Amino acid sequence: MSVMNDWFSLFIQVLDKLPITLFMLLISLVCSLVLGVAIAIVRIKRFTVLYQIATFYLSFCRSTPLLVQLFLVYFGLPQLLLAFQIDINSLDRMIFVLISLSLHNAAYLSEVVRSAYLAVGEDQFEAAYSVGMTYTQALWRVVLPQAFVLSLPNLGNNIIELLKDTSLAFTIGIIDIMGQVRIILGNNHGIGMFEIYVVISLIYWGTCILIEMVISTLEKVLKKGKVSLSKS
Amino acid sequence: MPIINFEFAIQEIPAVLKGVPITLAIAVVAMVFGLIFGLLIALCRIYRVPILNRLFIIYISFIRGTPLLVQLYVFFYGVPVLLDKMNQSFGTAYNADHISPLLYAFIAFTINVSAYQAEIMRASLNAVQIGQMEAAHSVGMTTFQALKRIVLPQAFLVALPNLGNTFIGLIKATSLAFAVKVVEVMALAKIIANDGYHFLEMYLVAALIYWLICWLLEVLFTFVEEKMRNKEIKQKKMNTTISKDLPLRV
Repeated sequence: MSVMNDWFSLFIQVLDKLPITLFMLLISLVCSLVLGVAIAIVRIKRFTVLYQIATFYLSFCRSTPLLVQLFLVYFGLPQLLLAFQIDINSLDRMIFVLISLSLHNAAYLSEVVRSAYLAVGEDQFEAAYSVGMTYTQALWRVVLPQAFVLSLPNLGNNIIELLKDTSLAFTIGIIDIMGQVRIILGNNHGIGMFEIYVVISLIYWGTCILIEMVISTLEKVLKKGKVSLSKS
Repeated sequence: MPIINFEFAIQEIPAVLKGVPITLAIAVVAMVFGLIFGLLIALCRIYRVPILNRLFIIYISFIRGTPLLVQLYVFFYGVPVLLDKMNQSFGTAYNADHISPLLYAFIAFTINVSAYQAEIMRASLNAVQIGQMEAAHSVGMTTFQALKRIVLPQAFLVALPNLGNTFIGLIKATSLAFAVKVVEVMALAKIIANDGYHFLEMYLVAALIYWLICWLLEVLFTFVEEKMRNKEIKQKKMNTTISKDLPLRV
């Protein structure tokens, strides 16, 4: 019985910090989505200089581990800015995590957005132009909504990856669920490490399954609308 | 004080490069064993082997639903517990302290990557048309022969781009090996950086090393893919010329 209680209290203690993990997930998802769409459009439209920069940025983000990027932003950025007399050492650690997660994920998301955008097809644009829409209007009203539905499976995978990536935030001292585990271990003097990591892996697993379910429901709902539209 | 101490960075590059063999070793070992296990798991799932199918579905879901870092910790702290239990019940005397960190890393990364490879191999095997298998059966091959000679070579070609991506992902994932106390590129950079507060320099060096490795791998994979594709096209051309020469063509 006491064993059950131990496991239960561990669960509660770790779950206590789940909102922080979800907060990081949500904020960096929104930021990286905005940045990702911008990068995707730059790459599709091939704006000369910006295209080169975007390609360089993508290559860097996708070829170096997130951990390196996180450390570069957390340790390197203040050192770099200090040379320009800007002191950001007093900023909250969370901001560094959000910056590096957003920058990292934007690179991956831009490819998701780009493939979905290309999948919608040029004729949709032409149709929108023919009724007098501007590029921005066509993009917002016609292409992006369709691209969003097409990109849902990839987007879902990306969100799950992002959730898993947030587990690195504890390395710079964020108290998310991984950080909480560290604290509990410190209080226990390192006893019961195995149990606690099993608990946290179950929590991550559960969250991932939930995200998966939400995405697949969303997919079904949005697809249904599409079918009825084409039939009418 | 200069923003970036380039001299220091260049001077310390060789020290960080010492971690590259370990990084590559973990990636290669996990990749090779992952490919073997992944293929077996994929076959179990495709042929719906009764209990194993269910088991592997859960395994793949778990591996893909938890961060690698957590898996490494679970494995690292789970093995000693397991060995303790084993020693108690079987009277053996294995000591978890004698296991080298590198072995932990090899096994943990293999367990992780097998799940991803299994899904890649399953998709590629499914991409090969069922007619190929039927044709092989019709000329008297067993299922095993057909898999080995006909289906797998084709599936492998389909899987190649994804396998390349997995390998590059694996190279990046090795930066987490600090969790099982392996000292690779990232850990070396961290140690040197902590020594003299040269964070920007050392992490830039580490980033450049990873970038270079990934770029080289990308070039290699593109080259191999092109080679394989050319070979396939050549074979197809040969087949058509042969079939033209055959008198009994329906």
